[in-house]
Amino acid sequence: MSIFYAQLLTGLAYGMLYFMIAAGLTIILGVMNVVNLAHGTLFMLGAYIAFTFISDELNFWIALLLSVLLTAVLGIILEKLLIKHVYGKELEQVLLTFGLSFIIADVVKWIWGTEMQTLSAPALLNASLSIGDMVFPLYRLFVVFIGCLLALLLWYLESKTRIGAIIRAGVDDRAMVGALGINVGLVFTGVFAFGAALAGLSGVLGGPLIGMYTGMDSEILVTSLIVVVIGGLGSWKGSFISAILIGVIETFGKVWFPSLSMLIVFLIMIVVLIIRPQGLFGREVA
Amino acid sequence: MKKIFLYTVLLILLVLAMPLGLSDFGMNLATEIYIMAIFSMSLGLIMGYAGMVSLGHAGFFGIGAYTVAIIGQYVPNTYLLLLISVVISGLIALITGAVFIRTSKFYFLMITLAFGQLLYVLFWQLKPWTGGADGMSVSATLNLGFGEIVSPNGFYYVMGAAFIISYLLLRLFVESPAGKITKGIMENEARMSALGHNVRIYKLLAYTLSGSLAGLAGSLYSYFNVFVSPDLSGWTFSGQVMVMVIIGGVGTLLGPAVGAGVFIYLQNFMSTYTERWPMIMGALLIILVLIGKGGMIHWLRYVKDIIFLRKQIDEEATQNQVKKEEVVN
Repeated sequence: MSIFYAQLLTGLAYGMLYFMIAAGLTIILGVMNVVNLAHGTLFMLGAYIAFTFISDELNFWIALLLSVLLTAVLGIILEKLLIKHVYGKELEQVLLTFGLSFIIADVVKWIWGTEMQTLSAPALLNASLSIGDMVFPLYRLFVVFIGCLLALLLWYLESKTRIGAIIRAGVDDRAMVGALGINVGLVFTGVFAFGAALAGLSGVLGGPLIGMYTGMDSEILVTSLIVVVIGGLGSWKGSFISAILIGVIETFGKVWFPSLSMLIVFLIMIVVLIIRPQGLFGREVA
Repeated sequence: MKKIFLYTVLLILLVLAMPLGLSDFGMNLATEIYIMAIFSMSLGLIMGYAGMVSLGHAGFFGIGAYTVAIIGQYVPNTYLLLLISVVISGLIALITGAVFIRTSKFYFLMITLAFGQLLYVLFWQLKPWTGGADGMSVSATLNLGFGEIVSPNGFYYVMGAAFIISYLLLRLFVESPAGKITKGIMENEARMSALGHNVRIYKLLAYTLSGSLAGLAGSLYSYFNVFVSPDLSGWTFSGQVMVMVIIGGVGTLLGPAVGAGVFIYLQNFMSTYTERWPMIMGALLIILVLIGKGGMIHWLRYVKDIIFLRKQIDEEATQNQVKKEEVVN
């Protein structure tokens, strides 16, 4: 029984990690209507940046902060330089961010090589918590905690603040928001930077959980896309629930059917889409 | 129909004329280009004629390649093996497509991406059959009924012929009523639906045709390369074929084929100088998106228009000149 709970926690930790990644994807998709295929690569970049700082004897938390800042700055640069030219053009967005992901992945390979690396969890969290005969690694609990915190924060930002109101209005009627004197361009830059920062953050937090290797970017991207698709485009609630679902099912799948866990996740997506083509909590889209 | 005839004759002449000026290495490169041209034409079909952007098209390529690699161990007949490849990839396209086309653009993109990545993982993990990450060598040999084909020249002509046949098939589909309805659906789905056309059937038809052709390209590649690995289904490869389509031009049949040629040539040329090919490919993609204006075929048309227009202007000028002279006289 204790193994079951430990696995459940692992599944939850993975689920929260997927939610954190999918959150960045969802906010960029929901607000700007951009499918950011470079999101997985930004995740990878965040992890590797933190890895370098930590190798330089820097504190985990400072490395985390710097990594989030740097990915946010990169987000601003990318939006200002490239993304802003392709608003409203779906195919172009896909191709552009696809191209970006190749470049960033190659830069990562160039700088950090192709060897597998490990990002170590902070010393503070490198312990375990025992309840009765059950042992829970503290770091996984921490990831679950941060995931819940992020979900709360995002919910609060969206429904209770002025920024959230502007973003919600911007999704429904961009021209009207612009006519009200709000700088939509600035909002978009901000949202893209925020999404990139979320990718960086989840990269650093995910590093100790899943390790760092070439090819992690596309794996993460596919998983988070599946999360977003199952949950329904642009729905936080959907992303949150489907991320946990995927995390838990994948973890147990890995134990019971080691070679086919990815297949199970994919099958879930197909079943969901057969029943509800717009995802579990998605709005009907044209 | 006249257009089909003209283009086909031109393509046959091209395939026949190329070996005149090519070294062995060049012949190999051209053979690879023919295979990739089939692959990129298949993606170009659904992108440019049905409005479906797939990011997992390499999945079908991988299915075709692994079919020849795995089933080729038991079925030596080339015709039968190619048929099996096409049928399997077509069937998988039919089944998955029936689910995928129910979704709108964003979802379609993501689902196809996930589909390609899933096959990548499957080929990786079904180690007893596929050799896992190490890949597997292909034991089947190309034999069209007149002895084993092993020479570079033999491969060249077989792949060249396959390329022409694939082009003909796609051209016939595009010019057929079904193809025209499909294009109409891409331009205005609601209207075609209101006109009484079953939108999904036509989209599914295009997707299935495209998937089976990509499978054919994969199985030909298997014969050509005699080695297959999971990378043939990976998203990097899907991205590459999309770059080929974009370089050549979306919305034309031969555009993607031209793009494949340029891409494969560039890749070979560049890789002798630098390892950073993915970076170059990414930059190329971004530049094409931002200032590409529709790809090479469209540039060629643009140039043609300019030349044609200039001719017209010249003619008008001489006519005016003649008139003036008449008036003077």
